[in-house]
Amino acid sequence: MKKLSIGGYLTALAALLGLAGTILTIVSGMVSVDNPLANTGMIAAAGFVGAALCVLAIFAPSRWGNFDLLGSASILGAIALYCYTFGAAVGQRVMLVAGLFSFNAGNEAGWSVFYVSVAAWACLLVGCVLLVASGFMKSVKEA
Amino acid sequence: MLARTKRGLWRGLTALLVLVLCVSMLLGNILEANAGTIDTALGTISSGFISEHDANNPLYDKYTPPEEFLNADGTGNSHALIEAAIDLGRREAAEGSVLLKNNGALPLGSGSNVTLFGIRSHSNLLGSSFGVKAFGGYISLEQALSKSRTDFANTIAWTVGSRGAANSPTVDGWSGDEFDFDGAGFNLNQTMIDIYDKLGETYVHYENEPAAEVYDPGEPSISEIEGVNSGFKSSFAQYGDAAIVVIARPSCEQLDYLPGGVADGLDFESGEPFSLTKNERDMIALAKECSDKVIVLVSSSASVEIGSLKDDPDVDAILWIGAPGCYGMLGVADILSGKVSPSGGLFDIFTARNMSAPAMQNMGKMYYSNTEGTITRTGGVLGFKPGAYAIEAEGIYVGYRYYETRYYDCVAGTGGADSSAGAYASSGNWNYGDEVTYGFGYGLSYTTFDYAMEGAPKFEISTDPETGAPSAFATFSVKVTNTGSAAGKTPVQIYGQAPYTQGGVEKSAIQLLNFEKTDVLAPGQSQTVEVKVDLQYIASYDESFDNGDGTKGTYIMDPGDYWFAVGNGAHDALNAIMAAQGMDASKMVGQGNKAQACVRAVNEGFISKTAFSVSKTGYKISNQLPYSDWNYYQPGEVTYLTRSDWAGTFPKTYDNMTLTNPELIDALNGKIYELKTNDDTSAIKWGVDSGIKLHEMYGVPYDDPKWDQLLDQLTLEEAMYIFSFGGPSIPGADSIGAIETYMTENAGNGIAVNLNASKDPDAPWAIPRSDPNGNWHPEVFANAPMGASTFNPELMYELGQFEGIESLFTGINILWGPGLNTHRHAYNGRNGEYYSEDPVLSGVAAMEFAIGALEYGLVAAPKHFAFNDQESERGGVSPWMTEQRAREVELRAYQIAFEATKYDTADYDAGMRGLMTSFSKIGAIECTSSYGLMTEILANEWGFIGYAVTDIYDDVDLWTAVLNSGTTCFDTRGQGNFYTSTTLENCFLFANQMYSDPLNAHLIDGDANLQLKLKDAVHKNIFAWSESHLMNRYNATTHFGSRMTWWRATYLGLEIGSGVLAAACAVMYVLSSVKKKEEERI
Repeated sequence: MKKLSIGGYLTALAALLGLAGTILTIVSGMVSVDNPLANTGMIAAAGFVGAALCVLAIFAPSRWGNFDLLGSASILGAIALYCYTFGAAVGQRVMLVAGLFSFNAGNEAGWSVFYVSVAAWACLLVGCVLLVASGFMKSVKEA
Repeated sequence: MLARTKRGLWRGLTALLVLVLCVSMLLGNILEANAGTIDTALGTISSGFISEHDANNPLYDKYTPPEEFLNADGTGNSHALIEAAIDLGRREAAEGSVLLKNNGALPLGSGSNVTLFGIRSHSNLLGSSFGVKAFGGYISLEQALSKSRTDFANTIAWTVGSRGAANSPTVDGWSGDEFDFDGAGFNLNQTMIDIYDKLGETYVHYENEPAAEVYDPGEPSISEIEGVNSGFKSSFAQYGDAAIVVIARPSCEQLDYLPGGVADGLDFESGEPFSLTKNERDMIALAKECSDKVIVLVSSSASVEIGSLKDDPDVDAILWIGAPGCYGMLGVADILSGKVSPSGGLFDIFTARNMSAPAMQNMGKMYYSNTEGTITRTGGVLGFKPGAYAIEAEGIYVGYRYYETRYYDCVAGTGGADSSAGAYASSGNWNYGDEVTYGFGYGLSYTTFDYAMEGAPKFEISTDPETGAPSAFATFSVKVTNTGSAAGKTPVQIYGQAPYTQGGVEKSAIQLLNFEKTDVLAPGQSQTVEVKVDLQYIASYDESFDNGDGTKGTYIMDPGDYWFAVGNGAHDALNAIMAAQGMDASKMVGQGNKAQACVRAVNEGFISKTAFSVSKTGYKISNQLPYSDWNYYQPGEVTYLTRSDWAGTFPKTYDNMTLTNPELIDALNGKIYELKTNDDTSAIKWGVDSGIKLHEMYGVPYDDPKWDQLLDQLTLEEAMYIFSFGGPSIPGADSIGAIETYMTENAGNGIAVNLNASKDPDAPWAIPRSDPNGNWHPEVFANAPMGASTFNPELMYELGQFEGIESLFTGINILWGPGLNTHRHAYNGRNGEYYSEDPVLSGVAAMEFAIGALEYGLVAAPKHFAFNDQESERGGVSPWMTEQRAREVELRAYQIAFEATKYDTADYDAGMRGLMTSFSKIGAIECTSSYGLMTEILANEWGFIGYAVTDIYDDVDLWTAVLNSGTTCFDTRGQGNFYTSTTLENCFLFANQMYSDPLNAHLIDGDANLQLKLKDAVHKNIFAWSESHLMNRYNATTHFGSRMTWWRATYLGLEIGSGVLAAACAVMYVLSSVKKKEEERI
């Protein structure tokens, strides 16, 4: 294993954020029994696989060098999967959020779901941005 | 460390573009899934009707706007429409504002030099922050008093955001037309206007504001005024012809005022939110320094505690102005300047202390002591709090019914009415004069009127020999004479009193029976006004009456003397009756004119005691809501107020009630309907093609066999879609040629869609986006109490007509409004959306509105059926009451509106064609799931036929019980793209069912009852559609199609662009990788 470069650290951070975002997304569907998240299994799987791809994108360059095909494909795959997790969760919360900011501001359980969801979305989005940034950078230090 | 290689650059760009592609794809998914809502917000049309239009297949030939609102080319004339709205809003406020006190100060002459006081004189209260908002450009009080042309571009109504949402303007801006008007022509004190403008930076107020559980009216102190301009008083000399003070108390959806809920340090007069603060009292004192003429304008939707102003000889006039909407200040100015003589009557009784209402002992946030662990049903998608309730121990004695009945008994010396129980403003024992400031229906004019009954009322009483349905009316001829020196009009209010026996069925000593309004009468002129009264509204509901068929409870007409009177409000009418009855005048508050009253002895020969035990549909009436009464489950725990013992039964506060009855607990947990799985349903037809299409059903009577054929064509799944998704977007149904449509919107004071965002853009009168007035938003009219206070049925009809016309321009064919709940007390935050404490006033106003709207194909669906008596814990709160109270107070308003007897003809059974149910329960049962309420009373007794939708996402976990009750669909705002994006199986709303599997297309395959109920529900829904202007858009060629919108083009462009570029960058990355490898190999 070669020493990580900035790109590798960013990818590692993206993996952690993706993991956190996915877990928070799952939690957001469990905060209130009346606000479950449909297709939680698929959403969670996408997030976890995305995080796993990030890990692959860290280790692959050690063997095949910076900007290798496998590591690159892993980054792109992770971005797509994080976006899926993010989009699937946001799509199911549109009406909840609209209600909270209008006729249903007193929905305490809804606000709890909202806060957890926003944290999850922030993690996933920032994770995506970091992955894009890491795409421009070397993942490992070359000898 | 950035890559210095081309590979790194291409890889990074690929990653960036993949991110853009993914984001644009998910954005597209979200936009498409919420296309209906997005269209409304952005004024686009993303899908809908595609039809050929020729002589054989006509379109838009069923309902059309009046010629006066069309341009020569047939398109809509927005200028004319707005001009008409300004005129109507002005007239509504001019007739609805109520002059409560005037010692001659009003009217003020044109050219008067006037000073305005109170920050609300500068930042007017026009509507509610949520519910019935005033939208867009408006005419302020200052403009109405001193200007002659609108300045909409710089006078946009703002609204206070709900928690978490920013305060915001109701429209983005205004670059459309401005309009001339003839204002009051006063000269205003600019010094004070400038001061309030500056203070507005600290005391931020908007035109649409909410009620508050801890209230602060935000009125600056005199020292703060001095802080802005220490020499402000020097301006008084020049502008001292009159001083006008404005006091306001807002209303809104979602929040109530609460007892004692006031901000610290403001020195509220009674410690309650509807009393005046020290700063408000100081402002009135300041006004006295300014002028000898002090006029107070009260802007509210409930009783404000202004007893001290009534008694203050230096306060010359008080005018209630409600929340008058965008243009209502013109009507207020008309009154102040004398262009119009006031003619409104109070929508609610105004009391010295609102806490004195017996209902106030049991309002707010009360919860069962053992909710946790007992109530297992959750608060639902909207997160409502389980276990809330309100014991409505006041019985039938709501609003003026309580104060006037207790007054009557005080004078009569019966029932211990003059005890100290419930006395708040009285010193010692209860005294009407101390407790009441202004009575229900009361209002002054600039002239005076004499009312006299012309002969005995004409009774027309008959019974349908086949059904037993009664028809019993009394027509009163009232001669009204203008005895003053100014021209004016006045309401003609007919009240009644049924004979009461101590210990018998509870009866109010006075109740409104009907009303009309005179024309404008010149001084000395007389007019005989005929007021037709439906006698069923003086009958009483006796829950214990033995019907002799095993059932109990029905309406009765006790034998005895029935008194009737005309009066300037309930108190005047009651005094007239008391004078005619020879009661002790020395004990009365005010004088009674017995010429205003008449009596009719009722016995079995005149009208049967049980004449009203059968409804107008011929249905036998009996108890249907036993579960509304707490004592039904846990006997003897609640005592309801009775006039036979005022002191002993004045309500106590029933907090911390404990649930012990298992049946009660089951009901609260929603255990109402048991789904069957093995019924033989083979006789119920689905999917039988008869070749009938929806467009053929326009004008087909509800009971025509053609409907059965149409309904049999539907598949069971299609029917389940129509029941499950009731709007705003409704699903299509291929089998009958029905198309997915955005169909419904709020609200009672206008259609909540911009003119240029019509849902029916193909209508020949559609107003294009390019129209300079295109972003005019039709929610511009006053809050509901203003309409009620006009006491003018014709004006309410005209308002309904106008909103019907608005609906043609906006393409909305079902309106979720008007509000039709009862003002149980002043603290209900949503009183601004509901008309009155009186069911007859409310019911007549709603009926006129709805029939007027239907003339232009708009189905008005009043809300919230029923018992939305408070906003606190409105979601699922249990209001507990007697069935007598439920029927005589709460439900009567709906009954009047739904029966619409006034408009029945031999060939047509008129009525409203829509309603929205309440979030609340009735006793233990959700209103949405109450078979007694939705089927027995609504459908069977009243003959309601139409769209009966739940409130948003309400009781979606009780799908089978809601269907069984007779409710016809769910409000599923935001859901669309049915059968693809949104399905029965994947919609999150129906994922959690209390007592069945999650919703799916086979859920009721084995339940014959529910399949039949489903047919009935769908029949009523589609019938309502067929009576609306939705049918304008259908002909034999109509089919569904998608349309390109700018937002659809944007995300598709992003998808394609980013996708192509990402692919290109990926190729470049691969090529550079290959090149690099080759270089390394070499």
